Amino acid sequence: MTAVALENYLIVGAILFALGAVGFLARRNLIIMFLSAEMMLQGVAINLVAFARYHGNLQGQVFTLFIITVAACEAAVALALILMLYRARKSLDVSLWQELREADQEPTVDEEPLPPAPPPEKWPTLTPAGPAPSGQHDEGSHV
Amino acid sequence: MSAHVLFLQGEAPAGGLNLGRFVADFWPILVPVVLGLAALYLLLPRAFRYPPLWGGLLGGLALVVAGWWLVHFEVISAEVILFYAFAFLAVGAAGMMVTQSNPVYAALFFAQVVLSTCGLFLLLAAPFLMAATVIIYAGAIVVTFLFVIMLAQQLGPSSADQRSREPFLSALAGFVLLAAVLCVLQRTYQDPTHQAVAQQLQGFLEQTRKARDAKTVAEMGELVGDRESFVNPFLELVQKDSLFAGLAQEKRKAIQKRLYQVEETWSTRFSKPADKRVAMAAHLDEIYRDGQLIHAQLTTAGVLTPDPKLPLSRFSGGSPQGQPRDAHSRPQLPAENVAGLGRALFTDYLLAVELAGFLLTVATIGAIAIAARRTEELR
Repeated sequence: MTAVALENYLIVGAILFALGAVGFLARRNLIIMFLSAEMMLQGVAINLVAFARYHGNLQGQVFTLFIITVAACEAAVALALILMLYRARKSLDVSLWQELREADQEPTVDEEPLPPAPPPEKWPTLTPAGPAPSGQHDEGSHV
Repeated sequence: MSAHVLFLQGEAPAGGLNLGRFVADFWPILVPVVLGLAALYLLLPRAFRYPPLWGGLLGGLALVVAGWWLVHFEVISAEVILFYAFAFLAVGAAGMMVTQSNPVYAALFFAQVVLSTCGLFLLLAAPFLMAATVIIYAGAIVVTFLFVIMLAQQLGPSSADQRSREPFLSALAGFVLLAAVLCVLQRTYQDPTHQAVAQQLQGFLEQTRKARDAKTVAEMGELVGDRESFVNPFLELVQKDSLFAGLAQEKRKAIQKRLYQVEETWSTRFSKPADKRVAMAAHLDEIYRDGQLIHAQLTTAGVLTPDPKLPLSRFSGGSPQGQPRDAHSRPQLPAENVAGLGRALFTDYLLAVELAGFLLTVATIGAIAIAARRTEELR
């Protein structure tokens, strides 16, 4: 048999799903969390299309089309919500909203300080040529 | 209806969880998963980052090992090479996306994941889905994300991008999930016990076939007459429930019944030996046919060869010319994909299409309502 077996596609889908789950749990940027959720949907879509191929009908592909539709809706609403959250806190950090946690949970505190910002880059400049103008030009003289 | 099985259920481990046996059974899965876990843990952004070279090397090693041990194919063909290329691109870009601290780069890596997924869709004979995904994700969503990132871009390091929440615990959670799924897949499709059982069954079936075609009763008796060498071990094999879970149960029961009848017929005294041979051959033939079916299920699980008469769409049927099929009777590329999808969408799934359109409208209105900047006077 020359075709790639079904299980190999399922493995790729599972890896994408797991990586998306890790990204959603670990990252704190709202946009990256959302991208990770979209990546989990991609993993599921690979599974569905692979099953459709190996069953020889189109139900899996139709299901994936509906997943794409729902993902587009989700993106529209989520981007609007992210914009609102950003306006309220001027940051995309999801930990700024941790007052929404359960009453008995400890707040997370960042212990290690962030590394200092890199110094502003020095761009090359042209070396000044000739003596600096004295600044006391006589307007009438052209010499 | 075709009798193909998608999933086999492996034998449950005897005597509860045995860690040693688990590791011995699944080490080809556990090694790349642990390597990937370590790579992701090292690469996730934090205040004091580990050198990215270590994590990158570990991640590359995990990818290579996974591609070597987990992906199985028999012949190297163009399809296999393309599958490898798209799968590596997708998984590699996914890892980069999760660990990238700059959200703009993360969005670009997400676009790469989507494009590689589209390549896999093409390999799976879904060109319309490929086009739709490219247009919707890579076109609309990524551009929107870049837009938001431009709006929200900050100068210097921010704790949203430079820190992770519990990098070890979240990576562990994701990779435990991955290991569980991969172990189930392995137990379903590459279980050595299933392969051994299929081989054993094949041996018995061969013996049955020879006995059925035997010319004389004596020859038949040599093959199946001995209770200890044929009937009892065959019965023992067929009666193990754990080995055949999910397979055709009624066929298995039928084989058991026939085996008892074989024994009974053999010990009965017939007036003419030819009658005995005919009666035995009838039973053996039934056993052979049912056994062949179970054997096919054991060896072809996951490699579906669908019913060629199965219509693409339930209400409108297939195309008038009939669908071109390949040697495994799967629809051939490109398989009239767009026409078939259109037919299926507007006959079988009409209500769902209407609901999806309605959902899109509601989501658009909702997004506008949420994001519209309200001025102070309006408040």
